[in-house]
Amino acid sequence: MFPLFGAWQTAYNTTVTTVTITTAGTGSGTGIADAGTGTTTIGASDAYLSSAIMSQYPGLENIPLTVAALMVNYNLPGVKTPLKLNGTVLAQIYTGKIKTWNDPAIAKLNPGVTLPSLKITTLHRADSSGSTFLFTSYLNAQDPSAWPATNVDTTITWPSAPAQDAETGSGGMVTGCQGIKGCIAYIGISYQAKTTAAGLGTASLANKAGKYTQPTAKTINAALASFSGSTPASGSQSLINTSAAKGYPIINYEYAVVKKTQPSAAVAAALKAFLKWTLTTGAGPTFLSAVGFEPLPANVKAIAENQIAAISG
Amino acid sequence: MATSAPTAGPEGGAGIPPLRRLGGAIRARMSNGDLIRWLGRVGAVVPLLMLGFVLVTLIVEAIPALKFNGLNFLTGTGWSFGAGYAASITSGGIVHQPGEVFGALPQIIGTLETSAIALIIAIPVSVGAALVIVERLPRRLASVVGGFLELLAGIPSVVIGLWGALTFGPFLAQHVTPWIASHAPDVPVLSFFRGNPGNGQGLLTSGLILAIMVIPIIAATSRDLIRGVPLLPREGAVALGLSDWECARRVTLPWVGAGIIGAAVLGLGRALGETIAVAMVCGVALGTIPSNLYQAMITVAANIVQNLDTAILSPLGVRTYAELALVLMVITLSANVGARLLVRRVSGVSLPVGRGL
Repeated sequence: MFPLFGAWQTAYNTTVTTVTITTAGTGSGTGIADAGTGTTTIGASDAYLSSAIMSQYPGLENIPLTVAALMVNYNLPGVKTPLKLNGTVLAQIYTGKIKTWNDPAIAKLNPGVTLPSLKITTLHRADSSGSTFLFTSYLNAQDPSAWPATNVDTTITWPSAPAQDAETGSGGMVTGCQGIKGCIAYIGISYQAKTTAAGLGTASLANKAGKYTQPTAKTINAALASFSGSTPASGSQSLINTSAAKGYPIINYEYAVVKKTQPSAAVAAALKAFLKWTLTTGAGPTFLSAVGFEPLPANVKAIAENQIAAISG
Repeated sequence: MATSAPTAGPEGGAGIPPLRRLGGAIRARMSNGDLIRWLGRVGAVVPLLMLGFVLVTLIVEAIPALKFNGLNFLTGTGWSFGAGYAASITSGGIVHQPGEVFGALPQIIGTLETSAIALIIAIPVSVGAALVIVERLPRRLASVVGGFLELLAGIPSVVIGLWGALTFGPFLAQHVTPWIASHAPDVPVLSFFRGNPGNGQGLLTSGLILAIMVIPIIAATSRDLIRGVPLLPREGAVALGLSDWECARRVTLPWVGAGIIGAAVLGLGRALGETIAVAMVCGVALGTIPSNLYQAMITVAANIVQNLDTAILSPLGVRTYAELALVLMVITLSANVGARLLVRRVSGVSLPVGRGL
C-alpha cells in the first residue's frame, strides 16, 4: 500500500498545494495504532479492523480504497506451465508434510507436468505483514483442519518446515526466492513485474469452486463481483476464497484507517478532499495499473463515499 | 552553560548588562563549589532513577501479561496472537483472543545459545589478538592493528546484519555448513553439528555475526589489561628461559585473568541484547528450539523488533512484549551481576575502570 500512497501523495501535492501530505512506510499495526491515537491522520491496512481492535481504538473506521491481490510464487526453472496449488497442499508444504516438489500430492494437481525432485524451501515474512495475514487467511479458508484459525495473523508461529527462510519486505521475498531454487513464497501483486523479471513462476490457486486461476485483472474482478454485492456499510469484509469459478481466491480491499472525528474542521475537510480524490483521480489506471490494483466496484465506491462524508471535525 | 560575553541587553539595569550579571552569579557559585556539587548529585542519581524508571514501567505494563501467561511464559513453546477476528474472551479479568498463547522458551534458549556461540569464538580470538598486539607486533604495526580493531567496533550493527544476511550467511550455506553437516561425527554434542545445513539464516550465522561484534569489545579491553602487566615478572620469565607462549600462559594471562572475565561479560552484555543484526540473520522462526546448529530460530530481542507491529493491535500482546523486555533485562542484568561476583571472588578487584556496564 505504501508505494501507491507515495504516488498519490506526489500527484496530489502537485495539484493541491494548500495541504501537505507526508507518508511513512510502517507495518499496518503501527499505521492503525497511530491513526487510533491521532499520531497520523490516515493509517493503511490490507485487512479490515477486527472487533477487538475497534474496542481498543474506538472511533476508528476502515474505508476501502482499492482492491489488491496476493500471488504465490515459486522458483522452478524447468517448469514452464503455471503450477496448480490449493490451500490443503500449500498448508502441507508450509507445515513440512510435503518436502519435495515431485510429491504425489502436488503431482496429482498437476497432471502432465514434469516436477523436479527438488527440496521445497518455504519463505515467509520476517516482519509483521498484511501479506502473511492474507496468505494464512486463504490456507484457513480452504482447509481449516490443516490450518487452524489461531494461525491466521500478520505474525504467526510458522510450523517447523525442514527448509524455511524468513525475508523482510515483499522485495526481500522476491530476491530471497530468486536466490533459492525450489523455494515458494507469497508476494503482493504490486511486485508482479519484479517476480517475472526474477524468473519466478506464479501459481494458479484453487478457489472455493475448486477451479484454478491466475491473478489477472479479469480473475480479480470476477472474484470481487462475488463479494461486492454484500459489502456492509462499514466496509469490513474478507474477500478470501471466492466461490466464483473464474475468480482469483486471494484478494482484499486496501483500507484507509481514519478516526471518524478529526481534531479540527480544517483537518477533516482536507482529509475528506484527499480521500475523495483517491477514489476518483487516484483510482485511475495511471496509479492502479502500475501496482496491479483494481478500482472499487460502483456500489463499494458509494459505501466508501458515504464513510468519507461521515468524517467530521 | 550561559556565556559571559558582554552583550548588553536593552533593559540592563544598574549599569551592568543582565547576561554579565548572570555570568557573574554563575562564576560566584562555581568558585564556592556549589554548582559542581549539584552536578555531582544529579549525575549520581540519574542513572539510578533511569534504571528504576525503566524497571518499574516495564513491570507495571507487564502485570496483566504476567498474570495471563504465568509460568508458561518461561516453559511454553507456542507463540500465537490467537484468532484475530473472533470475539474476545475474558479470563481472570484479562481480555484476550481465543488461542492467544505466549511461551518464550525458544526465544530465551535462542538468546543464550547465540551469545554462547559468540563468546566461545570471541574469547580465544580476542585474547590472542590482544597478546599479539601487545607482545609480538612492532609498536607501529600494533597501533595500526589496534586502530582497525576499534574501527570494527564502530561499524553500525545494521551494516553487519546486512552483510550477514546478503553475503556471509549465503556463503556459509553454500560452502561451509554442508561440509560440516555431513562430516560431523554422529556422537552426542557433535551430532548438533549434523543434519540440514540450512540456507544461511539461523543459529550459526547469528552466533558468528555476534562474535564479530563482540571481538572488538573483548580484544580492546584485554589489550589494555595486558599492557598493564608490569614488565618485571615478564622479564623474569624470559630470563628463566620460558618461551613466548609459556610466558603468556604462566605470567601474563594469570595476571589479567579476572579482567578478561570482566571483558567477556561486557561482550556477553552486547551479545544478549544485540537486536537488529540478529533479527536480520536469525531466520525469525518463532517457537523453534534449534535441533541443529544451522536451523532458523529467534532471540528475545529479535522477536521484539520484528513483531511489535502485530503485538501493538492486541492489548495482551503489547503487555506480553513488555514482559519479554523484562525477561531480557533480567537475563542481561543477572549475567552482569554474576560476572561481577565471579570477578570479585577470583581476584578481589572490580571490573576494569571506566568500562563497567
